[in-house]
Amino acid sequence: MVDVTDALVPSAGEAGTPKLSVRNLTVARRQASGELVTAAAGVTFDVGRGEFVCLLGPSGCGKTSILNVLAGLDRPASGQAFVDGRPITGPGPDRAVLFQDPALFPWLTVAGNVELALRLIDVPVAERRDRARSWLATVGLMRFADAHPHELSAGMRQRAALARALAADPEVLLGDEPFGQLDAQARELLQDEVQRAWVASEGRKTFVFVTHNVREAVVLADRVLVMSAGPGRLLEEFRIHAPRPRQLDDALVSRVVTEIHALLMQEVNADVARTTGR
Amino acid sequence: MSEEGGPGAPNADATPSTGASSADEGQRALDALALGDDERLVLAKVADILRRINYGTVVLVVQDGKVVQIEMAEKFRLR
Repeated sequence: MVDVTDALVPSAGEAGTPKLSVRNLTVARRQASGELVTAAAGVTFDVGRGEFVCLLGPSGCGKTSILNVLAGLDRPASGQAFVDGRPITGPGPDRAVLFQDPALFPWLTVAGNVELALRLIDVPVAERRDRARSWLATVGLMRFADAHPHELSAGMRQRAALARALAADPEVLLGDEPFGQLDAQARELLQDEVQRAWVASEGRKTFVFVTHNVREAVVLADRVLVMSAGPGRLLEEFRIHAPRPRQLDDALVSRVVTEIHALLMQEVNADVARTTGR
Repeated sequence: MSEEGGPGAPNADATPSTGASSADEGQRALDALALGDDERLVLAKVADILRRINYGTVVLVVQDGKVVQIEMAEKFRLR
């Protein structure tokens, strides 16, 4: 009998210094009109080393803003974010980011894009080629190593971006709706790739993904942090103890998805009622 | 689960309503099942999980009459 309920209780986030930590974080973004809008307000959470956490919430709840602070690309209006207990002051090679747009350099081949990431962290020339190709093989893109990004489908481009991010061996992988623009099949394939990459890291890599797709969050994460409509606050946390790779129609996945969906609908309806005064 | 035998409730051992405690009832139910070792293990694991969580879902995956996997999701309110 496989009992997976022991492994994560208590959560890894509760033991020792957390890998990532967010304390009373408030982030604001400026709209085109110049008005400053609070995206997330007073958010506090920890992410343990080797955990896979998804931040889930309706559009505008500030989940991307929080991720940007963790990536060091944005500064909070108040509060702090830490990596290994140290305040985050900017981007670093220890934290790779997967964006919704894969942002590959169009003039470089797929392998060239991955090798460039390795050059930036001073991997010797002799090693770059093999390491890049090994990661391309891992994500099933070996045949396209010498192709240019425009020759690939959207799913393959995102897979190349995943290979580029993981090749640099970051301790943290941050994903900002990385599969948002993909069709359903490509999205599922990428979800499998990401689960495999996380499992293969055997607790060395910490993944934090932002998504508004409930099913995706539950399939991928150890912990799903559900946020309210903007300004986003944390509502509930779901810890999911089920073996991987998980499938979209697993009984536990379906049950948790239903529960989170109901919570989000309740939240969105309350938000509509607040803004319309009904 | 009724504590006392109401009208229409099974009352096989004719215990009067004053004597049956839930401990006795639980023991009788267990005796009647004559659990095998595998079944006792499953129940022990489920009981252990139930002691550790306040809100959540426990899923038992059954194949060919045997529990092959126990999964769970635990819910915490953060607001």
